[in-house]
Amino acid sequence: MRRRPGIGGLQTAAAARDQYRLVGENVAKIRTDMMKEQLATFRSQLEEFARKHKNDIRKNPAFRSQFHEMCAKVGVDPLASNKGFWAELLGIGDFYYELGVQIVEICLATRPHNGGLINLQELCILLCQRKSDREAVSEDDCLRAISKLKVLGSGFEVISVGKKKLVRSVPTELNKDHNEILELAQAQGYVTVEEVERRLSWTSGRAIDALDTLLDEGLAMIDDGHRDGKRRYWFPCVSSNSNPVADT
Amino acid sequence: MATSSLPKADLTSSGRPVFLPNEIECSILSSVDLECDDIPNFPLLKSGLLILTTHRLLWLPDNNPSSSAAAAAAAVALPLSFVTHIFSTKKSVKTLFHSPRVRFQASLDPSKSVVMTAVMRGKGDTDAFLAKFWENWRARAWENDVQTQTQAQTAVGSSSVSGSGPASGSGGFYTREGAVRMVGVSGILRKEQEMWESTDKSLQEAFQDLNALMSKAKEMVILAEKMRQKLLSGSSSKSSATNDDEVGSKEEMQDWMLSVGIVSPVTKESAGALYHQQLSRQLADYVRIPLERAGGMINLIDVYCLFNRARGTELISPDDLLRACSLWEKFDVPVMLRKFDSGVMVIQNKSHSDEEVFARIKALVTNPDTLRTGISASDAAMTLGIAPGMAKEHLLTAESKGLLCRDISPDGFRFYVNLFPEISTDDVYLVKDYGIYNTWVRVASASRILGWSECRIKDPKPCLGHI
Repeated sequence: MRRRPGIGGLQTAAAARDQYRLVGENVAKIRTDMMKEQLATFRSQLEEFARKHKNDIRKNPAFRSQFHEMCAKVGVDPLASNKGFWAELLGIGDFYYELGVQIVEICLATRPHNGGLINLQELCILLCQRKSDREAVSEDDCLRAISKLKVLGSGFEVISVGKKKLVRSVPTELNKDHNEILELAQAQGYVTVEEVERRLSWTSGRAIDALDTLLDEGLAMIDDGHRDGKRRYWFPCVSSNSNPVADT
Repeated sequence: MATSSLPKADLTSSGRPVFLPNEIECSILSSVDLECDDIPNFPLLKSGLLILTTHRLLWLPDNNPSSSAAAAAAAVALPLSFVTHIFSTKKSVKTLFHSPRVRFQASLDPSKSVVMTAVMRGKGDTDAFLAKFWENWRARAWENDVQTQTQAQTAVGSSSVSGSGPASGSGGFYTREGAVRMVGVSGILRKEQEMWESTDKSLQEAFQDLNALMSKAKEMVILAEKMRQKLLSGSSSKSSATNDDEVGSKEEMQDWMLSVGIVSPVTKESAGALYHQQLSRQLADYVRIPLERAGGMINLIDVYCLFNRARGTELISPDDLLRACSLWEKFDVPVMLRKFDSGVMVIQNKSHSDEEVFARIKALVTNPDTLRTGISASDAAMTLGIAPGMAKEHLLTAESKGLLCRDISPDGFRFYVNLFPEISTDDVYLVKDYGIYNTWVRVASASRILGWSECRIKDPKPCLGHI
């Protein structure tokens, strides 16, 4: 570019630079849009293939691993059977197994937030989001898929708290929530549901479930007789620790 | 060539072969002898496992009786690249009486090639194996590896140095901004346009049908990687749309899944009758990493999800998983399945086993304070850093082993160290000068001075007869 003297020259140069930048940004934007579009095509095609050619893909081990890699890279779930007639009627076929894997995956992913206790409804919504609107998953489907997991022990169960149905993915043996409650109880010897919810910022379902388990285990005792009318959960095991038996 | 026979094959601790980066297992036959008359001192390879992969032919001893270390020492591998010829089976009367065999020529040494024979004594489809053998040998997967490696290197080079030209070959669909030094703005735009079109075209071609996708698979994998990186870097620099973030988080999850992914999952098709056995070994190898993350114990259902995700489309059913886990008892693997009374099943490290926990419980109950007061499940839970339910489980096991005694009182369910083994049957009043009994007596009498003279009747501690 030829350089021209004076303020006019500078201004033209600046304007030209602006123009270039604008074009550049435009191109960049179009490029990203194009790529997104192509990625979307890629994704939908892969999903289509995963569903249609499942058996063929399985038969060829070398191709299968490449297909798997593609799916992982562009974010396609390779588990994508249709819920067929037989699957619904007899519960056979891969559909419910696949759904089971997806359900456990969601539970694993959300565990840091909810401590392994998730509302069935919420689970369904998350599941449908993943299934890319091809097919809705009902709560009944979820329950059926979960029942398929029963073979692997009772570590995964559906419990009812009030009217809500919750899915618990952490068995009592591995649940660390109870430790937190015990720690909380150490201060006064008892806790209330509200206190647990407030101090640990848990949902009420999570708090009630944990307290109920402690009650079943014989670690907690209920006291309904207090003036404020709130149920207190006493923990003799913790309180006896803080003021030793010596004073009996 | 005196001893230089076949290269050794590495095995995992559970007795599965260690595969090369892109190597994929295709077929497994059991009870196969590998013979070679041309090599003197050829090792005796009798009735082992013959595994065909895309890259190699592996022979492992059937390790029922011997230890896994011995198995690892005997395992051999023949790279398919060494194979120079595969003989087709001649149909004759003789073959009817023989065990089926596959003969092939291999050059272990550049100067000389030898004929080897694999004798299939077990059941299994020999013809299918031979067909696969041919197919894999012809496919020359090992050559592709070298190619992709160099391709990847050049791809990395072009994107980091950004010196090379625009979209050259299958490797470069997109180049970085600034890399394109064309004449004028219109040139750049044209170039961009061409790139999109070529990508579109290759996408269309690849997804015409399954065969097209298969032949273009490698290219598509590279393309997928490129798109992903481009979009991820774009969304991280300017988190514009929420859609991007969603993509990102989802990928992160799947990325993690892939990072521990299984390139060559054991399938019913490849392993046949050996399916559960091989699956069991693969699971043992796989589960180690998730187990470490979970702190030595993991819910079986979590493993079901993770393992299936790692296998991709090769879903296994819960029953298969359970069968695979229950086979661990027969193999020498570092993990075990554990069932709780509540019906919960977990996988745990053998090293994370009861012995270690008992040692910690013992240390806990023998310190002077707890000698007197005992421990409850919640005390144990806090000290051991595990859930109360689990702690109770451990305490009860420790009790059944004779390590602890229980005390059920209004204070709750408490456990004390078991002192009975230290009391000699000849003289129940004898307190030795050493040992935990002695310590306990001292601690107990010290507390008695403080006014704690009550001796609870239900307490099974040996407070017999007021020493």
